[in-house]
Parts: sequence; C-alpha cells; structure tokens
Amino acid sequence: MAASSVVAPSPPADAAPARAPIAERLFPNNEWVLLVVIVVECVVFGMAGHNFATAGNAFEIARLGVEIGLLAIAMTPIIVTGGIDLSVGSMMGLAAVVLGALWHDAGLSLPVAIAVTLLLGIAGGALNAVLITRLGFPPLIVTLGTLSLFRGIAEGTTGGIQHYSGFPASFLALGQGYVWGRVPTQLFVFAAAAAIGAWVLHRTSAGRALYAIGHSPEGARYAGIPVGRRLAAAYVVSGFAASLAAVIYVAHLGQAKSDAGTGYELMAITAVVLGGASIFGGSGTILGTVLGLFSIVLLQNGLRLAGQPAELSGILTGVLLVATIVVDLLSRRAKARPSPSILATEQDDVRNSQVGILSAVILAGALIVAASNWMLVRSLRDELRGAGSTGTSTTAPSTPAASHPVVAMMPKAKGDPYFISAKLGADSAAKALGVELLWDGPTDLDPAKQNEVVEAWITRGVDAIAVSVENREAISTVLRKAREKGIKVVTWDADAEKDARDFFVNQATPQGIGYTLTDEAARIMGGSGELAIITASLSAANQNEWIKYIRERLAAKYPKITLVAIQPSEGDRDRAFAETQTVLKVHPNVKVVMAIAAPAVPGAAEAVKQSGRTDVKVTGLSLPNMCRPYIESGVIESIVLWNTKDLGALTVRTAQALATGELKRGATSLDAGGLGTFQVVGDEVRLGAPFVFNKSNIDRFDF
Amino acid sequence: MTAARRGWLARHGRELPPAAALAAVLAGVLLVAPSFFGAENLRDLAINNAPVLLVALGMTLVILTGEIDISVGSMFAVCSVAAGLLAKAGLPIALVPIAVAVVGLALGTVNGVLVGTLGLPSIIVTLAMLVAWRDALRWATQGAWVQDLPADFQWFGIGPAAAQVIIVGVPLLVLAATGWALRNLQIGRRLYAVGSDDEAARLAGIEPRRVVFGAFAATGALVGLAASLNAVRFAAVPSNAGLGLELQAVAAVVVGGAAITGGRGTVTGTLIGVLLLGTIGTAMTYVGISPYWAKAIQGLIILAALVADAALARIERHGGLLGRGAVAAR
Repeated sequence: MAASSVVAPSPPADAAPARAPIAERLFPNNEWVLLVVIVVECVVFGMAGHNFATAGNAFEIARLGVEIGLLAIAMTPIIVTGGIDLSVGSMMGLAAVVLGALWHDAGLSLPVAIAVTLLLGIAGGALNAVLITRLGFPPLIVTLGTLSLFRGIAEGTTGGIQHYSGFPASFLALGQGYVWGRVPTQLFVFAAAAAIGAWVLHRTSAGRALYAIGHSPEGARYAGIPVGRRLAAAYVVSGFAASLAAVIYVAHLGQAKSDAGTGYELMAITAVVLGGASIFGGSGTILGTVLGLFSIVLLQNGLRLAGQPAELSGILTGVLLVATIVVDLLSRRAKARPSPSILATEQDDVRNSQVGILSAVILAGALIVAASNWMLVRSLRDELRGAGSTGTSTTAPSTPAASHPVVAMMPKAKGDPYFISAKLGADSAAKALGVELLWDGPTDLDPAKQNEVVEAWITRGVDAIAVSVENREAISTVLRKAREKGIKVVTWDADAEKDARDFFVNQATPQGIGYTLTDEAARIMGGSGELAIITASLSAANQNEWIKYIRERLAAKYPKITLVAIQPSEGDRDRAFAETQTVLKVHPNVKVVMAIAAPAVPGAAEAVKQSGRTDVKVTGLSLPNMCRPYIESGVIESIVLWNTKDLGALTVRTAQALATGELKRGATSLDAGGLGTFQVVGDEVRLGAPFVFNKSNIDRFDF
Repeated sequence: MTAARRGWLARHGRELPPAAALAAVLAGVLLVAPSFFGAENLRDLAINNAPVLLVALGMTLVILTGEIDISVGSMFAVCSVAAGLLAKAGLPIALVPIAVAVVGLALGTVNGVLVGTLGLPSIIVTLAMLVAWRDALRWATQGAWVQDLPADFQWFGIGPAAAQVIIVGVPLLVLAATGWALRNLQIGRRLYAVGSDDEAARLAGIEPRRVVFGAFAATGALVGLAASLNAVRFAAVPSNAGLGLELQAVAAVVVGGAAITGGRGTVTGTLIGVLLLGTIGTAMTYVGISPYWAKAIQGLIILAALVADAALARIERHGGLLGRGAVAAR
C-alpha cells in the first residue's frame, strides 16, 4: 500500500505516446481487462451453455443487473472520493417497505408514494452525508451504523412480517414489462442513470472535483473545491439511487418487504472495484463499473445455463476480484518509471521479491478457472452425446415426447438440510426414471434469486420446472412466462399462484403444519402453560405463515396456553441456542420450546439439555438425523415433518409424468413406483399428512 | 487540566463513552429486570461471547494497522467444519484447537500475503475471501453438518464445568497477553506505528508489510481458535457458522473506541465493545423489548459511539475536529 501511494502520483509524461490516447481516455484504469473477461465468458458459456448466446438472454441478463447496477453507478463517485456507502442495501429494504406502506396503508396514489419514497432515500443519504462531512466520521463506520439502522427500522416497523403486494399492472410493468416486445422496461432507467452518471462524473467540474478530493481532500480544499458539499452530494445521490432501485425491485418482484436488497451493497462494491476504481480514491469510471457489473452477472447467468453449481460463481467472483486488483497493481508499477532516488531502487527490490508470489497467485486463479472450464467442456461433451434430447437451436423447449426429459428443480435455499434431504430423494428418482435433473437455487432465502434461476432455465430450455416457492407474488409472473413457452411447471413444498403452475406437490398446508405443531405442543404440555417459539429470521415468510396458524389454533382450541416469546435464530444453530437459554431464564415457566426452523431445533435442545431442566421439552419442525441424539435422550419429545426424501422423489416423478404427458388435469392418482400410489386432488398431488417423529419410530428414518 | 489527568484521558479517553454506555445499559436492566444479573445468565453470556471476543481481538490488531478483515465470518465457518472433520478423523481432542488454529493461520496467511506483502487493499481482498470461502464451503459440504462426532468432542471430554473454564479462560488470557504485548513489546508498538503513518514507520526502520502480514495471520489463528472453542460446546458442527460475525467484530472494535483509520485502539475498548453489543440483545429480552427492533438499536449504538467519541475529542483538544475530519475522509 505504501509503495503504490509513493509511486502513483507521478503521471509519466514519457509513457503517454506509448498507447493511443483514445484507449487511455476510455480505459484509464485498464478496464480493457474486463472487456477481455466478458469476451472470454461469452465464448466459453456460448459453447457450454444452452441458449446463452441469444438476444433474449442478453436482455434478461441486463434486466437482472439493473437494481445492483443503479447502486453501483451511485457508488462509483463515492469510491472515487475514497469513501464507501455500506447502507445502500438496507436503504432499499426501508424504501421498499415505506413505498408499500404509503400506497397500501396510507392510501396515497402510486406516483405520490414513489415520490415520497425517493425523498426518503435522499433523506437517508443526507443523514450519512451530515455524519461524514459535518462531523468528520469515517464513511465505513457511519454507513456500517446506518446499515443496521435502516434495516432495523424496516424490520421494526413491519414486524418483519408485514409485506405489501397486489400492485397495479401499470406499476409492475416497470419491473416486468417489455418495450418493443423484448427490451425490459427498467433497462431504460439504467441506461439513463449510467449516461447521467458518466456525464456528471467525467464531464462536469463538480465530477472532476470528486477525483481531486479522492487524491487529497486537503489539496482539494486549498484548490478552492467545496469538499464538504461535493462529498455530501455524492452520499445524497447514493441514497436516492438506493430508493430508486427499491422502486424497481418492488415492481420487478411484485412485493415490498423489509428484506429487499439484503447483501446488495457488497455486490455493488464488487462491481465498482472490478471496474477499476481504487478503493483509496482518485480513480474509477462509470464505464468500468458497468463492465464490472456485467462481468459478474454474465458469470452467474452463464454458470447457470451451463448447469454448473452456483457456488462456483462466488469462488470465481473472489478470484476475479483479486486478479483484477493484482493486474491493476502490476500495470501501475509498470507505468511508473522508477526515478533515480533511494526510494525507487528499494521499490525495485520489493517488486523483484514479489514476482514469485504474484505468479503463484495468478497461477492459482488460472488453475481454478481451468478446472471449472474442464467441467464446462465435459458438460459440453455430454451435451453433444445426448444431442437431440433437448433442442439447442431454438429458445422453446424440445418436444415433451423426449425419452430423457430435463427436469429443473429448485429448493428455497440450497444449503438448508431440509432441502438437501429432498435432493437425495429427487436424485434417486431421477436415476430410476431416466430424468436429467438440474438442481439449482439461491444459497440463502432470496426471492429475487429464485426469479433469476427460473429465467435462466427458460432461456436454457427445459421440459419441466419444479419450484419450492419462497415468495408467491414474486415468482408467479416468471412461472407464467415459463408456461407460455410450453414448459410444464410444478410447485413443491410451497405453492405459487394457482394459474402460474400445472400441479402442486402438496406435502402439507401451512395450516396443517401450524395445527399439527400446536396440537403436538399442547399434548406435551397437557393443555395449559407457557409456550415459546424460536423461529428462523423474523421476516421469514414460511415461518410467519405457520405462526399465524399456530396463534389461530391456540386461540380456538387451547385458551390455557400462552405464547410468551417469539425469538429469531436466523437459521443459525448457535443463535437458537443462545436465544433459548435467555428465554428459559426470562420465562422460567415455559414448558415447551417450539423451534420452527430445522437447525434451530437441535440448538434449542442443546440449550435445554445444558440448563439441566428436565421439565422443559422441545418440539418443532426439523429433520430426524439432526435431532436423533436429543430425541433418544428425551430432550426433544417429538418433531413434526413429512418424509422429505419422498417429497423430492414424488416431485421429480410428477414433473416427469407431466413432461411426458402421462399426468393430466383430472387424474385422480399418480403411480410413483416404489414409493406407492399418491392421491391427486384437482391440481394437487398429495404426499400425505405431516408425520410426528418420536422415540418409538425415529429408528426407521434416515434423512 | 493537569498533565497527569491529560495523560490518563489521552490513554483511556476513547474507552469512556462505550464504558459509560455499557454502565447505562446495565443500570437500566438492573432497575427493570434484576434477574439479568443471575449467576447462570452471566455465565451463559460469558460463554456465548467468548469466541466473539477472540475474533474481535484479532480484528483489533488488523484495525490498529489501518486495515480491515471482513472475511472472519467465512473463515470461522471453514474452521468450525475443520474442527469437526479433524476430530472425526481421530485427532486427539486436546490437539484439535491447536490444529484448527493452524488451519486459521493458513487462511489468515492468504489475506496476509495479498494485503501485507502485495499491498492490495484489504477491504477488497477480504471481501473476495468472504464470498469465496463461504461458497467453497457450501460447495464442499453441500450444507451437510458434521455429525456423529467422537463422544469426547463435546466439552473436550472433560465435562461442561471444566471445559467452560477453558472456553472463557483462553480468550481472557489472550486478551491479557495481547494487551500487555501491545503496550510493552516492540511488535505491539509497531502495530500502532504502522497504523498511524506507515511511511513514517518505514523511515523509522519498521517494515510495514511484515507488520500487516502478521496482523492478518494472527487474526486467522485467533479465528481458528475461536471456532474450535465454539464448536466443542455442541455435539455437531453446522456448515453455516459465523454468519455476520465480521460485522459484529468490526462494530465491537469501533464501538470500543478504535480508530478505523488505524493507530488508535486498545483491547480494553474491544472488550467493552464486545460486552456492550453482546449483552444488548439478551438485555432487550429481559426488559421485554421486541427483538424486531434489535438491529435498529445496534445501529443507534454504533452511531452514538461515534458521536460520543467526537464530543470527547472536541473536549480533549479544541478545534481538533476539522483536522481529524480530513484524515477520516481519506
């Protein structure tokens, strides 16, 4: 770090003629590297991915990048000044909730609600600006504070549960519609933002001032630049951009909830830094940011279309980030001619000693990329061998008569043990039925990501899609689109809107789960006493739905049971442990702790076990293997669940039967081979009632 | 103001606001819900926050040099799974924490080489590692937990009481040792020197790259140690541990009065920061405040700590705010 800051401020006059001035002007920070990356991505994925290189996919990729793109464009000037804004993702959450509340609760018309929301964004940005420029606090810490604050207000006011949907079609068109039949509407907003951003940053004196501030705030002040005002403007614009992104996000997903934009700040910063901006300030361009953004989005989309695991995109993004800054560092050092001073010779020594390490880093990155490319090539070869089973020439899926239908199946979250056990069942069913199974989805609960994956599958061309729906309103639009293209759509685990899918594989309704859980808890408690719930996150849609029915059942049937606490675990076993410990002490009369997230049940059980309280029992919704030791030792009385393995298998069978035309509306039963025959009621395939696992039957299950 | 008082204030002034805030929170809780101070609750709080303290101590070293490490949460997850796998592979349980600390050291070395030796910006490097380690672990484990551990894994096989002493004692020993080293050893003073002005430190004969490398490597080892001490509290290891740990650690260090720009901060401050942020959630449950507001309150605490710090700096030396602002903006 010391080295680059010593060397950087000597723009070599003699180096200028070496390169064409136009390239210097367009790519002052070696952004051409990104162009190469993008070209390579296009070539590789064009070969390995299905329907990657189509105009339709290009527009879909662009649509997916818009929200993060808006944040990134506003982040660029901030990073140019040497600052950072971590609060943008949380601001999106707050703005989304406020937009929904103003429109739905306060009854304002949508244009007014949007205007007020945008003002709120400006106000949020102004708060950051005041703390940073007036009081002189480091931006990293100020925006770390407002990151918690904005999200906290959004969650606090909505209780995490309240969300808004049912927006009019004219508004949703902003996020879901097309202009001229194929260009996504929000692309125009993005293009305008990029153009205005580029003009202000690169063509106005105010924009140039930001670079001066980034190089040296003190120097800029002496040069007569109003440093405070310029900085403040950058943060206000960032707040505004975040609220604008929130409006588009709401229109895109069709719902406004407090978890909008979670983690987007890191994506935006990644795009800006990939785009050649120095985190220390003084350099960066809008063009670079846009290129950086698309190199990530292309990577994610391409891996998906090539059927590669989504986790690779995180690893490759990390490699790409480090590689970009290494290349940047190298070229900076190459550009800066050593001047004849003691400092410079020392610099040379340092550089020589680092060549080995640098090559090692680059080699490691290349190895990872090569390994993944090898997999891409392998999948390509498989593809050629199985040519004809899926059409690669058109965007429409192949004829359903295919002997090896391609079924794409999505969990709510890939890392969740519940869905992992469902995948086991799905895998074995796919093997038995001769189905090519694609398994992909968000790594954490994220409705926006689910839409992204379905879009990619539509582009790739599959025979059937099976989705465990995280958010009903959000996903239904894109599922309808899949159906329009002739893809069979199944929902499993959680349903979408009825007209958005062909069949729903119903393992248990939220009502059934809520009621069974409550009945089980009441049985253990003997019908009276205090009950505490450990949930997933406070904004988790499923859990909130179950809690609604738990409350309903308690009120109707068990008036002597009081629900004394609902504490969050964030799906983290250790957090569930700590929360349960506290609940047991604050509410010593609690008789039953009901944990309604798979990892929370063993966490709660461990807390009860360590407290030595034998009068407290744990129940809830979890997987047998995870809870086995606690069930055997009696800490967990029982857990409620269905056979998740069978659920996965039945879903694949249903999708395959639909794709081959075997299953049609009006059927009354579905034969699933070894699993048995399942009842079909209307447009639902029924797995059966939820199952209560306890000491007497747990030995029979292994998942 | 006498010279002696001024010296004391200069040394401990930045720890005053968080200490006062902690005292205020505890006093408030004492009035509303005195049962908070039950021995059992205090013990549980100590055990639950001990691993966070270790990670925050590492973060203190990194922040002292003017850098930041936001990859600690992902490294924590990798180290947790490593602890489970090593124990399952038959490594004697007593050696597991040491072995996992070495795993952490290796992860920290990657950061150290990239940031320290190569001089790449730490926020970008550790952002890359945050994403890469987390996704690599997801890929490798497919979300599966490490289960069926040897019977002596939980509590090191020496029973809860003795193990809990270790779990709380080791971080406190590390705290004391780090605090002593930062004040009295050459290596400790070098951290401050590099964080205050790395160019001046270099001219004074210190090699800033090595110091920064050391801070990141040490943080990795501490994260490994924290992960193993955390893991032995349970009988299974989840694959998604340490989510959001980086924000918790950075917030604790900064609330404890360390300057994010480097060169200023103490382990006492970090301890206070960990205690403040680690008890506030539990205290809210005791007092009966809805957990839905937890995040908002955490944000307010961070901002309040900043404002208090600025007010104190103004008292300490009049008109010093402008100069500090310029430094901060860089």
